Amino acid sequence: MTVQPPVIIENLSFRYRSRSDFAIRDINLTVNEPQVVLIAGASGCGKTTLARCINGLIPRSYKGELTGKIYLQGQDIAGLPLARISQLVGTVLQDPERQILGSIVKNEVAFGLENLGLSRSEIHRRVDEALERLKIAHLRDRQTHYLSGGEKQKVALAGVLAMKPSILLLDEPLASLDPASAQEALQVIRDLANEGMTVLMVEHRVEDVLRIRPERVLFMKDGVIQYDGDPQHLVERVDYREVKLPAPMIMELAIKDAPPPPLNILPGVNGGGAPLVEFKDVAFGYDSGPEVLHGINLQIRRGDVIAVLGPNGAGKTTLVKHAIGLLKPKRGKVLINGQDTHQLSVAEIASTLGYVFQSPSHMLFAPTVYDELAFGPNNLKHPEEEIRKEVSEAIEIVNLQGYEQTPPLSMSFGQQKRVSIAAILAMRSRILVMDEPTAGQDYKNYMNFMNSILEMPGFEAILFITHDLDMAVIYANRVLLVNDGQVVADGKPAEVLADLERLRQCRLLPTSLLETNLKYFPKTQQFFRAEALTHVLASGN
Amino acid sequence: MLVTWRYKPRKSLIQSFDPRAWIIFFLCYIACSVLFWDLRYLLVLFGMAMLVVFTSGIRFSEMRRAWLFIGGFVVFFSFLTFLTGRGGIELYTEEHLITRWEAGFTLLGWRPTLTVTAEKTMYAVSMLVRVFSLASMTILIPYSLNPAHYGIIFKGLGLPDKVAYGMDLTMRFIPSFGRDFMLTRDAQRARGYELEKLSGGLVAQVRKLAPLIVPVTIHAIVSSEDIIDAMDLRAFGVGPRTWLEELHYRTRDRLLIGFGVVMLLVSIALSLFGMGKFWVPQFLLQLAGAA
Repeated sequence: MTVQPPVIIENLSFRYRSRSDFAIRDINLTVNEPQVVLIAGASGCGKTTLARCINGLIPRSYKGELTGKIYLQGQDIAGLPLARISQLVGTVLQDPERQILGSIVKNEVAFGLENLGLSRSEIHRRVDEALERLKIAHLRDRQTHYLSGGEKQKVALAGVLAMKPSILLLDEPLASLDPASAQEALQVIRDLANEGMTVLMVEHRVEDVLRIRPERVLFMKDGVIQYDGDPQHLVERVDYREVKLPAPMIMELAIKDAPPPPLNILPGVNGGGAPLVEFKDVAFGYDSGPEVLHGINLQIRRGDVIAVLGPNGAGKTTLVKHAIGLLKPKRGKVLINGQDTHQLSVAEIASTLGYVFQSPSHMLFAPTVYDELAFGPNNLKHPEEEIRKEVSEAIEIVNLQGYEQTPPLSMSFGQQKRVSIAAILAMRSRILVMDEPTAGQDYKNYMNFMNSILEMPGFEAILFITHDLDMAVIYANRVLLVNDGQVVADGKPAEVLADLERLRQCRLLPTSLLETNLKYFPKTQQFFRAEALTHVLASGN
Repeated sequence: MLVTWRYKPRKSLIQSFDPRAWIIFFLCYIACSVLFWDLRYLLVLFGMAMLVVFTSGIRFSEMRRAWLFIGGFVVFFSFLTFLTGRGGIELYTEEHLITRWEAGFTLLGWRPTLTVTAEKTMYAVSMLVRVFSLASMTILIPYSLNPAHYGIIFKGLGLPDKVAYGMDLTMRFIPSFGRDFMLTRDAQRARGYELEKLSGGLVAQVRKLAPLIVPVTIHAIVSSEDIIDAMDLRAFGVGPRTWLEELHYRTRDRLLIGFGVVMLLVSIALSLFGMGKFWVPQFLLQLAGAA
């Protein structure tokens, strides 16, 4: 018997029914042997569409015009039912929330095996094996909805691995993981490929994936493959503004371009004065459950740009939800402009403090983007003329000009996220709080809107939760490390982030940008983004 | 992602049985309650429900929200029944007046009047006891069934694989819907929206609920599509399925089923003999006679 190449794609094109242009065009790809293939590109480049064609969701769940052929292990998948394709290729989606079905971890991992009709003893064996492999055997009997984001992603991966597919398709699997969990997941993926699995990984965090030495990298743009080759030569063809490359690679490329304009963060704000927000010995636990925040003391002052970092499930979201009064402390108090949140309604706090939720789908409702953005200012009784101005400025910041009359619910996830951020920006609060503003966004978009938000006049302080250490390096002037419901470090980025051992304890890993910045810090006395750092160093020499 | 009810393993009467046996018993119980209108019979069933509630090991604080919601609902509608006497007409043909109260004012020529009759009173009380017993038995179920067993319970009750798994998802849909509602409410409150300050007519009020209703509905639709995709991506429906969880009947489970079935048969027999019909105690009739 001849061994079939795991993946052959011939002249593949697809156009979604609702769109006039093709999402991918003339894709040709042959993977001859088990290896890690990284598929990179900005959002809208067609990488997710390609993934959906391979796992069969196109054309079965997403309708449209499909031409070309896909062979997996030599089988033409065109006529196969989805359930059959799923035995050839295992898919892990970007958001584990959309993938997990079982209510208990063990049952979730067993789901596919139950469907294949395996014996109970075989199912138990494979479930335990998959859990061991991902080092999450201790979660076996836990309820899935109590898991943290990172744990959920590992459980979702275990559910797919247990089915032993010969091809593994990962669609931005790192999005909800803290850096240490992401690194662990990547290592598992590398091992699987070494053991004979073909791994196709769609990801725009190229830097992270490069660490596990993918054999092959595809770079997609506008629906076509622009680069197909080894990682070493990627740098010659890729745009460093579109995907997240390692800092030295960006520096090498960016030195040829003009230096980026310096960031003018929180323009017009002088630091100091009375604290805007103050946490006094705050403790909190959900219902009758255990305490999740212990004795938090914290002041947010004018001029602060605070990055809140910490592992999945450390209590970051719980902490910031206290700032807008959605949660009230069980002990201690939270003061907003000197007023206790126990005495204020959320709506009253909203006029001073804008809070951007993690998930946009829980808030979008209006028939048009304009109405969606006007909702907050309307509730706060801003005058009509003012609202028009606020809305148009917010739209500009998130780069959605021309979409004013589009229904937000018909937009892509990335666009919805930007609408949800703009909806809060339009309220013109003095303090802005964002929970994972960059999750589910591609690199180019989030760098752009982070720049614009930080340079937007009117805010007195900004606080954001992130898993991305580089966000803290580039934008923050203060870093809070949260672990186990406590603030374990609070200070300038250069101080807090220099303690690599403490970062590791908080499941954060130094990025190449942090390492490069730390290396040159004696000379620069400041952290820079890679594009800027390369010019700063060049001019200093 | 679907969340589950707040199940916890507890040492309790209800959790000492196989969940399938309990469901069968529960169905028999429901059938029995709808056969009777006689308060004396209903009180026996009410007693059984209370026995199960007080041995359930679930603290009131855990169930508080469910009780307030369902209890409030039951009391409100029973009171409405008492005021209007609606629905009772099918059970009794004549009414004995106990007291009559007329308002000292008129609204557009209509004078609000409350007539209290023996039959209307008993009907409202019987209704309250009956619905309250059913509600008590139902509230306990989500707290007492292991979510990992939902699917196999329905499979074990004879439903095909796909339907049984569908029931599993349905059981978890309600708490998930509640969670989504809370998240949306929080997100909109952070945008200055105040549910408490709804004003205007009915249509205007419903329209002002859009910021809550639209995201929750859309989210429900999108997540059901996600669930279908996630199931397909893991070979759901290729053939007969193995259910990892196993349930085994023990003697006590068989006894419970037997008890439920006998209770139902006796109830049917009693009602065929014309027993357990609407009953008004003598003292109420005397009270009415004296009035």
